[in-house]
Amino acid sequence: MNTPQKIPVTVLTGFLGSGKTTLLNRILSEQHGKRIAVIENEYGQIGIDHELVINADEEIFEMSNGCICCSVRGDLIRVLGNLMKRRDKFDYVLVETTGLADPGPVAQTFFTDDEIREEYKLDGIITLVDAMHIEQQLDRSEESSEQIAFADVLLLNKTDLVDNTALDKLETRLRTMNRMARVVRSEQADVPVDTVLNLAAFDLDELLKRRPSFLESEYPFEWTGVYSLESGRHTLQLAEGPDPEMSLVIVPEQETDDFALREGAELCVRQYAEPPEQLQPGDSIPIGKHVSLQLNLSGRKSFVLELDSQMQMGLYAQHTAEEFELQMMNSDGVVVPATSERVWAAHHGHDDEVGSFAIEVDGDIDPDMFNEWLAKLLREQGPDLFRMKGFLSFVGEPERIVLQGVHMVVDGQPDGPWGDAPRRNQLVFIGRALEEESIRQGFEACLK
Amino acid sequence: MLEVMIGRPRGVLLRGWSAVVDDYAIAGGWIPDGKVFLVGDASGGVYAFDGGIGSTVWTHQGAHEGGLLSLDIHPSGAKFATVGQDGRVLIWGVAEGKVRNITEVGKGWVENVAWSPDGQWLAVSCSRKVHVYDAEGRESWHSDDHPSTVSAIAWSSKGELATACYGRVTFFDASNGETLQLLEWKGSLISMVLSPDGEVVACGCQDNSVHFWRRSTEEDSQLTGYLGKPSSLAFDDTSTLLATGGGDVVTVWSFSEEGPEDTMPGVFALHRESITALAFTHEMRLASGGRDGSVVIWTLESNGEGYPVGGALLGDVVAGLHWRSDGRALAALDARGGVTAWQVRK
Repeated sequence: MNTPQKIPVTVLTGFLGSGKTTLLNRILSEQHGKRIAVIENEYGQIGIDHELVINADEEIFEMSNGCICCSVRGDLIRVLGNLMKRRDKFDYVLVETTGLADPGPVAQTFFTDDEIREEYKLDGIITLVDAMHIEQQLDRSEESSEQIAFADVLLLNKTDLVDNTALDKLETRLRTMNRMARVVRSEQADVPVDTVLNLAAFDLDELLKRRPSFLESEYPFEWTGVYSLESGRHTLQLAEGPDPEMSLVIVPEQETDDFALREGAELCVRQYAEPPEQLQPGDSIPIGKHVSLQLNLSGRKSFVLELDSQMQMGLYAQHTAEEFELQMMNSDGVVVPATSERVWAAHHGHDDEVGSFAIEVDGDIDPDMFNEWLAKLLREQGPDLFRMKGFLSFVGEPERIVLQGVHMVVDGQPDGPWGDAPRRNQLVFIGRALEEESIRQGFEACLK
Repeated sequence: MLEVMIGRPRGVLLRGWSAVVDDYAIAGGWIPDGKVFLVGDASGGVYAFDGGIGSTVWTHQGAHEGGLLSLDIHPSGAKFATVGQDGRVLIWGVAEGKVRNITEVGKGWVENVAWSPDGQWLAVSCSRKVHVYDAEGRESWHSDDHPSTVSAIAWSSKGELATACYGRVTFFDASNGETLQLLEWKGSLISMVLSPDGEVVACGCQDNSVHFWRRSTEEDSQLTGYLGKPSSLAFDDTSTLLATGGGDVVTVWSFSEEGPEDTMPGVFALHRESITALAFTHEMRLASGGRDGSVVIWTLESNGEGYPVGGALLGDVVAGLHWRSDGRALAALDARGGVTAWQVRK
């Protein structure tokens, strides 16, 4: 009859001990102005101090046809179905799943059940990762890799218990498994609430408005070192490395926490888009500019860094410090160690069964061929294809087509004209043992 | 074809009375003599209206913390039971509107409640268990855990208690809880209705189908082709017609002769959104309600065919339809808290 605003639902997944309840309590205490209903599948550990908590056992309803892609969560249908009758009484729902929950049926519930779909929208899946134990969990259980694969946000928690090198390595592994998710680091799930709520992660229109490319950017640099420097003349020294030159951006006033580093990284992505100024050894490095250090001379090479005042700066380098034996020296010729380091490189260390990849191609797609190809792909690999997101340029279609899917439930629709934007296609696939090359070829065969 | 319009009820429906409750009118019913109509709302309000003119007899707020989930009236018409999210069963006196008995069932929601036809037992379901109480409110027995939350309960005409959950229907002996019959089907059963003659048990399934068993042979069949979940089901009092929701059409299967297997059901399309309530009265007359607020009265034949004879449009989703036992009045509950009663012509 009338179409009221759908109630957003955020799903928190993650192994026991990853910090789900801590995050839940944090959200509830910070959002005290809102009426939030909490559906808790994992109860009995730490209490939640909140009036609208509903305990429910996880109940997976498989369909009589046996298709796992059609499985839904009976407990959610029942509880949400009842909660919506008191619509004016709450405006957000949080679901805390058990550590072993399969996120597939949870997500599918919001797309396949008509009554739920009519009243609720899945806002996002947040997976908490215990930085200390996740590697073992990933090696031992399928559930934990599925929780990583389905996530819109991966909250890398308990980072204080693990050193930075291990964190960087772990982040790289997680990113390989899920290229779509945003990775956020925290110590005690202490992240700003807006990094986990109101993401509209399943609403492609919204999402594309906020993040035109919803792939997490692959940074054009591999390493960041943060240095706390006194005023005066410093030198940056490098030996020979794998390349005759190296790009670099220095960001002033760099803090060392995760958010500051990511902010710095975003700033640098924009700088890296500008053509670099070429610097020869002995030249002075300007701050906040994209430069390319010329390193073809043999032996150690020095570049100058002049500071008028004391400063903590971030050095975002195209390669890791190790590769070029990079060192910062102060005016007395003493090595200044980095106060903090971050490796951004995407080295594929692990061979996880669950993985993700993106197809990005220019040109137009033949819609009939694409539909036929996709239907076949879903038929054959639906159970292993966890999530899919992207946009397409169909031949003769003035609007961009957005596409998103959970297992075999795929939804595609036009979301506005291309206008002057270059027409291209981008599709991310996340799943288990996906044959990237054959999917890529199959997709490209649909190009007109 | 009958035009359903806002405002005046059409056809056999004649203007009656209307009333309002504070929240979503979740459950209701007439006491057998029709003198009182009871309503429970989603936030735990309980209301008694005069069956003839709709004036408020009494009201009670906040009966169940978290919300009321269901209500059932004792066959004597003297008392009724309500259950809710607070895990409790309340037994009320109809006349005075006071709680006579409170039973704590468990920690979960108590979602279903039903008095046995002889009025001797009260059954409720709370998560995976069903509990049966005697006339004094003492627990007589409770079941072991079902494989999943019990989605529906019903008493057979012979006084057995039936439960539905994911994967099975179970019939229990009312007096001692012994399992009398177990009917299994690997599917999620979300609703259940028993034929008045005790032979057929039909369940709506999450995967848009209706599954039914004939109890004497334990043979089962599946009715498919639905465009939505058949969450409302109703059997007529001759056990001939099974009306089912699921999508925006009313589908009526006839169990006369060889049916409903290999027969075509009657399919009735007047509602513009999905069917939310179905109720039969005597002489194969059916009331159906939809998400769009429309209520339609149908006269059906034993082969499942039929035609509309009346209708009305409410302001919101039809949450329940209740015939007075003589079939001469119909009350509708809606999601906005409206309670509308019509006189019904022959």
